Amino acid sequence: MSIDYLLHESSVGYAIFQVIHQADTVGNRLREVQDSVQDLAKFGKMVKLVSFAPFSGAAQALENANEVSEGLASDFLLSLLEVNLPQSGKKNKITLGVADKNLAGAIKGAFPGLECETGDTSEIVMDMLRGIRQHAHKLLKQLQERDVERAQLGLGHAYSRARVKFSVQKNDNHIIQAIATLDHLDKAINMFSMRVREWYSWHFPELIRIVSENHQYAKLALWIGDKERLSDAHKDELAAQLNDDTELAQSIIDVAKVSMGQKISETDMDNVTTFASKVVSLTNYRKTLYGYLVGKMGVVAPNLATLIGEMVGARLISHAGSLTNLSKYPASTVQILGAEKALFRALKTKGNTPKYGLIYHSSFIGKAGQKNKGRISRFLANKCSIASRIDNFSEAPTTRFGEALKSQVEERLRFYDSGAAPTKNEQAMRKAMDSVLADIDVEDPTAQVDRDEDMADVAPRAIQKQENQKKDKKGKKKDKTSQEEIADGEKKKKRKHGEVNGEREKKKHKKVKE
Amino acid sequence: MAYTPRGRGGDRGRGGDRGGFRGGSRGGQGGARGGRGGFGDRGGRGGGRGAPRGRGAPRGGRGGVRGGAKGGAKTIIEPYTRFPGVFLARGKEDMLVTKNLTPGESVYGEKRISVESSSIDKSITNGDATPATKTEYRVWNPFRSKLAAGILGGLDEIFIKPGAKVLYLGAASGTSVSHVADIVGPTGTVFAVEFSHRSGRDLINMATHRTNVIPIVEDARHPLKYRMLVSMVDTIFADVAQPDQARIVGINAHMYLKVGGGVVVSIKANCIDSTAPAEQVFAREVQKMKEERIKPFEQVTLEPFERDHCIVTGKYVRSMT
Repeated sequence: MSIDYLLHESSVGYAIFQVIHQADTVGNRLREVQDSVQDLAKFGKMVKLVSFAPFSGAAQALENANEVSEGLASDFLLSLLEVNLPQSGKKNKITLGVADKNLAGAIKGAFPGLECETGDTSEIVMDMLRGIRQHAHKLLKQLQERDVERAQLGLGHAYSRARVKFSVQKNDNHIIQAIATLDHLDKAINMFSMRVREWYSWHFPELIRIVSENHQYAKLALWIGDKERLSDAHKDELAAQLNDDTELAQSIIDVAKVSMGQKISETDMDNVTTFASKVVSLTNYRKTLYGYLVGKMGVVAPNLATLIGEMVGARLISHAGSLTNLSKYPASTVQILGAEKALFRALKTKGNTPKYGLIYHSSFIGKAGQKNKGRISRFLANKCSIASRIDNFSEAPTTRFGEALKSQVEERLRFYDSGAAPTKNEQAMRKAMDSVLADIDVEDPTAQVDRDEDMADVAPRAIQKQENQKKDKKGKKKDKTSQEEIADGEKKKKRKHGEVNGEREKKKHKKVKE
Repeated sequence: MAYTPRGRGGDRGRGGDRGGFRGGSRGGQGGARGGRGGFGDRGGRGGGRGAPRGRGAPRGGRGGVRGGAKGGAKTIIEPYTRFPGVFLARGKEDMLVTKNLTPGESVYGEKRISVESSSIDKSITNGDATPATKTEYRVWNPFRSKLAAGILGGLDEIFIKPGAKVLYLGAASGTSVSHVADIVGPTGTVFAVEFSHRSGRDLINMATHRTNVIPIVEDARHPLKYRMLVSMVDTIFADVAQPDQARIVGINAHMYLKVGGGVVVSIKANCIDSTAPAEQVFAREVQKMKEERIKPFEQVTLEPFERDHCIVTGKYVRSMT
C-alpha cells in the first residue's frame, strides 16, 4: 500500500504533505530506515509540503482542536483537502495518511473516492507522521523556531479550560458536595450539641434528664436561658416549645425550682445562648440541606433514590464519582462499594471478601436475618445497578422502575422470611415498563397528532439530558430540528426497552444456574 | 549499561550524598500514611518530616514560609552532580531544591530559599549567566514527589534536563510538574496531561505562571486527542497509577517520543495488582514495557518515601535491534 499524502494537524494549522519516497513495509523497522526519519536532510527528501493552512486565530484553532479530538473533520479541513488533493478516481486511487481513524472515517465520508490509512493500520504512516511532527518547524517554512510552541501554549490553555468548564456531570457534583457537607454537618452538630449540654448543664443539670434529644435541648436552652426566671406562668409558652407537651413542660418547671445548678452571670449566660443559637441554626440548616439533597436526587437519580433512599443513593454516587461512573460499575462492585479496605485485605490474605459496603446502610439489609444478609445485599446491589443505569440513560425521569425494584427487594425479603414466592422478574419489569409507557404515551404509532403534542413536552428534557451525556453528542448537531431530536429520543426509549429485556434474559439465565 | 533491578543505593557507593537527608534515614514513616486524593496530602508536609529539631535558630529555608532570606547565608546551594538543573541545599539538613522559575512564588506552600548567586559556581548552573542578584530555589519534598524520591533513591538518569521537552502523564495538581518545569527551564517545555477536572483546575492555575508548562486536561489513554497540542518530546514521565499504565506509556511513546528518548515510569504495585507481591508486579510491568519497545534501563524502589513503589526508567527504541 503506498501512501500518497499525509495530513498533519498542529497547533498552528493543518498541513498536507506529499510523500515522495516511502519505506518498505517489511523493512520499516530496520535501523537504517528509522534513522532516515530522524535525519532532517533525508526525511526532507521523503516528503514535500503541498499546502499549509494556518489558523486565522486562537478561536479557530480551539474550534479545530476540539473537532480533531472528537475525530470530526471541520469544514476548514475539508475545504483544504478538496483544494489540494487531486481527484481520486477508480484508476488512480489516492491514499491519505491520517493519525486518527475516526477522522479518517469522517474524511472518507466527505470524499468517497479517497483511501485513508491511519497510524493503527500502517506503521509507515505512523513513522512518517512522527517524522513530520519532529521536523514540523523546519518543514513548515513560514514558521519561526518557537511559533509552534507558542501556539501550543495558548491552545493548550484554551483547550484545557474549555474541558474543565464543560463538565459532563453538572448535577452529580452538587449531590456529591451536598452529601459531604451533610456528613460534616452531622459530625459538627453532634459535637457542638455535646458542648452545649456540657456548658448549660453547669447551670441547669436536670434538663438533660428530661430532654435528651440534641436539637430539642439546644432549643430549650436557648429559650429558657436563666432557669431562675421559670415559673408556673411560663408553662404554656414552654409547652409550645415542646410540641404542646404540657406534662413535660410542668416537669421542667418543677425541676428548675429545685435545681442544683450553679447561678450564672448575665455575660456568661449570653455566651451560652449565643452558642446554643448557633447550634440551633446549624440544625435548621442541616434540615434545609437535606431537603435540597432529596430534591436533587429526585431529579438526577429518581429510581436509585426510590430504591435505597436518598442518602445511601447519594453516597453511592459520591463514592463512584458520578452517576455515570456508578452506572458503569458491575453489580458486584456496587455491592462492596465503600468496603475497599476490607476487600483488598481479604484479597491479600485470601480470606472472605466483605458482603456489603455502603449498601449496608439501606434498611433492607437490617431487615434480613443474619443468614440472608449476604444474599439480600447481592440482590439489592443488582437492583441498584439497574436503577442507576436507568437513571443515567433514560430521557425522562420517572420513579416507576425504582418502585418496582423496591417491591422486588421487599418480596425477596419476604421470600427469605416466609417462603412466599416472589413475582417473576419478567412480570415485574414488564409491569413497570408498561406503566412508564402509559405515562409517556408513545407506544401508539397511529396517534400521530397526539404524539407530537406529547413530544413537545419531552423534547426540552431530551435536549437537557443530551448535554449530560457526551456519548450522545457525537454525530448529533445542535441545529437539527427538534422533530429529529424527538425521533432520536423515541428510538432511545425503544432501545432501552430492549436493554431491560436484555437484563431480564440475563436474569433468567442466572436463575437457571442457581 | 546492563539492566539490573536494584534497591536503593545498591552497589554504587554513593551513600554519602544521601546520608545527609533526614528523610532517607527514617523508614517507618511510610506506613502511617493513607492514599492520595481528597484533602489529604501525600506524605508528611513540613512538620511531619522530622524528628524533633531545634526550634530556636533561624536557618535558611526552614525558619518560615518566606524562605529565610536571612538564613540564605548559612545555606549553601550546590548542583546535584548527576542531574543538571537539580540542586542540593546544604544547611543543617540537606534538601533537594530546584531553581524557581517564578521567583517570589510558591506553588503548593513549599519552602523557598534564596541565596546570592555569587555563592554558586556559574559554570555549573546550566551556563546561565546570572547577574549578581539573588537566586531563589524551591524545596522539593521527596515524600510528596515520586520523582524526587527516585532521585534520592539513587536513579542514574532521569532524562529531564535543562532544555528538554517532557511529556508528563498524570500531572495531578501540578506540584511535581512545577519542579520539572524548574529543571527544564525556560528553553524546555513540559506537556502536562491530567484527566481529572478537579486537579486540572489547579494544574491550569499553576501553568498560568509558568509559560513552559502546557496543561492538557485529557485522558492519557487517548493520545490522539491531544495531538495538536504536543510536539515530539525527549522524555515521557508517567505517574498514572493505572492497571494498564505500561500500555498507556507505550501508546504515548509511539506517538510522541523521539527515538532514543527517555521513559520514566513510577509504578505503584497496589494499583496494578494488589494480590501479587510488589517485586513480581514490577517485573511484569518491566516486561510489558519491553513489549512496547522500551528498553529498560534501571529500577529503583522508592523506600522509604513510598511503600511498594518503584521507578523504572528506559529508553525508547523504535527500530529492531
